[in-house]
Amino acid sequence: MSKVVGIDLGTTNSLVAYVRDGVPMVIRDAGGDALVPSIVSASAEGPIYVGREAQRRLLTDPVRTAYSIKRFMGKGAADVQDDAALLPFRVLASADDGVVRIGLGDKAFTPPEIGALVLRELKRRAEDHFREAGDVDAEVDRAVITVPAYFNDAQRTATRDAGRIAGLEVLRIINEPTAASLAYGLDQRRTGVIAVYDFGGGTFDISILRVEDGVFQVLSTNGDTHLGGDDIDRVFVQYVLDLLEQNDIVVQVGGTYEAGLVQAIRKAVIAAKHELSDGDQTEIVIPEFALGADGRIARAPGASYRLTLTRSAFEDEIRPIVERTLEPCRQALADAGLQPVDIDEVVLVGGSTRMPLVRGMVSELFQRTPHTELNPDEVVALGAAVQADILVTGNRDLLLLDVTPLSLGIETMGGVVSKIILRNSTIPATGSEMFTTAVDHQTAVDIHVLQGERELVADNRSLARFKLRGIPPLPAGLPRVQVRFQIDANGILSVTAAELRTNVEQTIEVKPSYGLTDEQVERMLVESFEHAEADYDARLLIEARNEAESVMLATEKSLRSPDFAEIAKHELSPGEPRAIEASLAALKAVLHGADRHAIHTATHALNEATRHLAEAIMNRSVHTALAGRSVQDI
Amino acid sequence: MCRSCGGGAPVDAHFCPQCTKILTLGRQGDYFSFLSVPRKLNLDQAELERKFRALSRQFHPDYFYNAPVAERMASLERSSYLNDAYRTLRDATARVGYLLELEGFAATPVNGAANGKVEVPASLLEEVFALNEELDEVRSLRTGGASREQLQAKLDRARLPIEQKRREHEDELKALSGQWDALVDRRAGDEQRRPVLAALRQRMLERNYINNLLAGIERELAN
Repeated sequence: MSKVVGIDLGTTNSLVAYVRDGVPMVIRDAGGDALVPSIVSASAEGPIYVGREAQRRLLTDPVRTAYSIKRFMGKGAADVQDDAALLPFRVLASADDGVVRIGLGDKAFTPPEIGALVLRELKRRAEDHFREAGDVDAEVDRAVITVPAYFNDAQRTATRDAGRIAGLEVLRIINEPTAASLAYGLDQRRTGVIAVYDFGGGTFDISILRVEDGVFQVLSTNGDTHLGGDDIDRVFVQYVLDLLEQNDIVVQVGGTYEAGLVQAIRKAVIAAKHELSDGDQTEIVIPEFALGADGRIARAPGASYRLTLTRSAFEDEIRPIVERTLEPCRQALADAGLQPVDIDEVVLVGGSTRMPLVRGMVSELFQRTPHTELNPDEVVALGAAVQADILVTGNRDLLLLDVTPLSLGIETMGGVVSKIILRNSTIPATGSEMFTTAVDHQTAVDIHVLQGERELVADNRSLARFKLRGIPPLPAGLPRVQVRFQIDANGILSVTAAELRTNVEQTIEVKPSYGLTDEQVERMLVESFEHAEADYDARLLIEARNEAESVMLATEKSLRSPDFAEIAKHELSPGEPRAIEASLAALKAVLHGADRHAIHTATHALNEATRHLAEAIMNRSVHTALAGRSVQDI
Repeated sequence: MCRSCGGGAPVDAHFCPQCTKILTLGRQGDYFSFLSVPRKLNLDQAELERKFRALSRQFHPDYFYNAPVAERMASLERSSYLNDAYRTLRDATARVGYLLELEGFAATPVNGAANGKVEVPASLLEEVFALNEELDEVRSLRTGGASREQLQAKLDRARLPIEQKRREHEDELKALSGQWDALVDRRAGDEQRRPVLAALRQRMLERNYINNLLAGIERELAN
């Protein structure tokens, strides 16, 4: 039977988890690493890199490397301009369909396609894991994917599209804080009210849940889908740049920063931020940069520029960002009709909750010491795996009842929103509204669907415009068209309509305001299958190169060894050293080509050519190690 | 009718008595009977919660993932209806509004306040007159360049009598709700129920009007 997994598709990192024998566990790579950086790099040579390899390319090929793409999910061109200005890659907005695309070199990807590349990497990781574990059917074809609780319909739909493009059946989209509460198994025997504070790489959520009889009922949720560790990093980068300038160090020429400097500082501050979660002071190490005699900070391979920072100075800088999480908490409490003292347990989720400042503020607000037993990076994926298991097994021990985070409404006269389903309604939920015609024999009506809490259309999120067709041609005001809005258990909207006098179902044409049409998603699905072969080849090519490089390195080391001359003289045949040199040169010649078979062959040849040499060196080192010791000691 | 086996089922059944499959919506009961709670205005909140949770465990789409399409649809519809019912009944005001609708006394929503079509309820004439005077005064104070604090203080004073009225209304609604529940318990006839429903409807309309007035003050403050 094919496998089902839970996936946390994060702003910074993504993870995959599954349930085996009732126990959820995250899937790690060979090195024990569970996190796959949500980074995609489209190299000039063709191959697309995802995860750690793409992360390395942030420094070497920033314009072709996309990160924090979750922030672009379900967004329109106008929404992303501020973000785009600060990013090294290009953010394009198509005039035809209003869809945002990420330009990496000569390729352009929609945010769901980037998401799909990350999902495919996770799918592959899970399949490798199941194959190694000896499962007969290791294929992963279904998943529960998490999203921030405060994601709107367009953002959820974009995430589901990403899953489809990656070739996954998305069983359910669930909210990250709710998933975390499932993983914590604050469980069926316990009764109480839980606050889940989820501060991740790019988003902030707060959810208040009541747990009773194994039912996890969300009472309210709030948040900010544009507030996270990314913002802290950005402030921190700016702080370092300012600090350098205050010390009369030249960081920019003609209004632009030294090439690669911002990315190098970004890398440095992220490391420093992590250090400051434990220590009171740290060193910021800006890699590959040094201060020149002219007072300019400039690229200097192998060097690094260092400065010292205390935690309190860091906290003073980022306090305003962390404080922005408190208002959503208060709003969620108010919406649930609760006071901070009514909260029995507080759970921390997301990497940003490792910061002592965050822990302090949360403890203060809720007057509780928060739970931190589970790894805040892994807890969401674990919960997603639990939910996936519930769906496929029909296990009824636990039940998650979530809410829609934002009110749903339609545009009425004067650009005002009429709300149909209020925020914090338990989902699935429905709402309906009557429409009629304004002129005689009108057969179509336009409906504009919005999400948000504000009164005016312009201040809310436009989700879609519908055209209601096939209304019977009657005098104005006579038709009674009932439009029904259904929010499903994923928090995703669908709309149906019927004319009540004639009982005729109306057809509805959906034009998503910011998302992809179904046809676009289908096309991407086809394209991704076409690309899958190429991507797989690219992966094998990387592996071949890695292997070749390690053999080359070992050979070069042997050739430089002080014993080499001695060995060559006594233990190798006369032609061997030259044969080694030739094989090495042959491998170097093909290493950066695209033919992995050639690399394989040349690697193999070099291995063969150095066999005697390797044996001789091995013998010698054993001999040296044993020299001077008697047989009894061995 | 059951779409799985074609058998008939009573209005308030959630599952087919013949084949035990979940039933699609169609002729389901009202929110009260769906949750099997009495059609009363003072509900036992804990009991409502318990029934909501118990039914959620029976209908939720999570448990129908592998079921045939008809059952999946039925689960989605029935869960949605349950959630809509629970949301309506757990809120005291929404509960009154729903009951009135059910009994044919729907309190038409006051969404016309802006186009001036809604008449001022007689019981509120005095307060509305006084409030309008205060608001006029606030506006002229504002054009005269009064500070925000001054305006705030004035508006706070202006809302006092309105809030007093609102509290009175809440009390009256409570009393009427008690009367309604007593009639239900006594299985009283329509001739006794109608006046109570009409009075409830009147209070709801006035309540909406008061809320609109308070919202108007808020808007004035935000300007």
